[in-house]
Amino acid sequence: MRRILGAITAVLLIGAAAGCGMTIPTDPDGTSEGVVGRELRVGYSPEPGLIAAGGEEPSGPLADLVREYADSLGAEPVWSQASEETLVDALDRRALDLAVGGFTDKAPWTDRAALTRPFTLDEAADAARTSVMLVPAGENAMLTSVESFLDEEGLT
Amino acid sequence: MSASRERFGRTDLPEEQQRALRSAVRWEIATLGFTAVSITLVALVVGSSQSMKTAWIEDMLSTLPQIVFLVALPLVRRRATKRHPYGLHRAMGIGHVVAGAALLAVGLILFFESGFGLINAEHPTIGTVSLFGTTVWLGWLMIGVMAIIVIGPFIYGPPKRRAARVLHNKILAADGDMAKADWQTNAASIVGVLGVGMGLWWLDGAAAMFISIGIVLDGFRNSRSALADLMDQRALTYDSSAPHPEISRALSALRALDWVEEAGVRVRDMGQVLHIEVFIVPRDQSAGARRIAEAAERVTGTNWQVQDVVVTLTDEVPGYATTALATGSDPSQTG
Repeated sequence: MRRILGAITAVLLIGAAAGCGMTIPTDPDGTSEGVVGRELRVGYSPEPGLIAAGGEEPSGPLADLVREYADSLGAEPVWSQASEETLVDALDRRALDLAVGGFTDKAPWTDRAALTRPFTLDEAADAARTSVMLVPAGENAMLTSVESFLDEEGLT
Repeated sequence: MSASRERFGRTDLPEEQQRALRSAVRWEIATLGFTAVSITLVALVVGSSQSMKTAWIEDMLSTLPQIVFLVALPLVRRRATKRHPYGLHRAMGIGHVVAGAALLAVGLILFFESGFGLINAEHPTIGTVSLFGTTVWLGWLMIGVMAIIVIGPFIYGPPKRRAARVLHNKILAADGDMAKADWQTNAASIVGVLGVGMGLWWLDGAAAMFISIGIVLDGFRNSRSALADLMDQRALTYDSSAPHPEISRALSALRALDWVEEAGVRVRDMGQVLHIEVFIVPRDQSAGARRIAEAAERVTGTNWQVQDVVVTLTDEVPGYATTALATGSDPSQTG
């Protein structure tokens, strides 16, 4: 009986997913839906060789990469600058879609934000340095979108 | 004492039990191998899904009864000595308690961990991996791995339960029962990961709680029956569902002796074999050593599990000894 129930549950879940034309993974809080074709709220903290604070917009290879990513989604990046911990806080409150800076895969924020797979930037001052970006925790479509972009760019 | 009453050990098992024992050992080793592979596979994809993690730990814990069985077996086969006059049969029971307690403790930890995760609304993050140039959501790999290893328990569960019945081994029975529940664990983690994929973040924690409840129940059942045996409760069948049928068989063997006025037995389960104390009120007050030996041999001859019988003559069967079982508990004992 429980066997049958389990099988029915699985079939229903898959059916429901397919029926709604739902993509898997989906964001529980809809981060990527708010980004595509609209705006990408990016928080950054300056990191020498990667991203530097500018007049209106930051500069550096990491800033260029984020602009390219936003472009690929038809979104306009909206920048804000803060310390790393403040950025993580903003991600946790869903006030940001993406955070960049001097984050590495050793970042201690894994319970409050999701880390992308590490990537390297050829144009960075230290080309061997690996970085990660942060997206809101559990927003798995957003994470998948960023990681797919990094894969396509051949940076991972 | 005659040699027939000192046959602790595997060499004395009847043909059927020897076969069952060999088969049980093979299945336990095969299960350990299978579980080692599945633990490694899951380790590659476990990610930050609570239900995957819980299922993974459940996988590791499920090896406990197998390890206990294989470790205790050579001890149980040793003969009784002056130093260990009851043999080392309790090794099975001790291992059973340890395995049960471990299940209980870890199950509770996992239950609260997933519960707090749900209360704190921790959203599980499952990212992607790059496989041969394509970006694949890790959740699909998790589901794939779980769908493969869900098959295992269906293969190794039934033969263990068969061997448990033939060998009257409660660890084997517990192991077989846990295998029966194993597939639910894997199915639940598939539901949890699928839920995460659909944006239902809480389904992961809920699945993890479901799995951990299963572990806690396993632990509770195992500890309870193992502890009761160590406390020398009256021997029960291998699945602890009824008094052991040997009790009736011993009683009818004793009543068949013409010099026995009244008989009672006290039977405890040593793990795989039984220890029987017989109380006999003789008809003519003088039984003699030959008659006592005869009574012991009659009882020993009723079942391979009876490996240690002590006969006491008394003027009254003590109240705690069993003199009769409710009818219907053993079909072979109606005449």
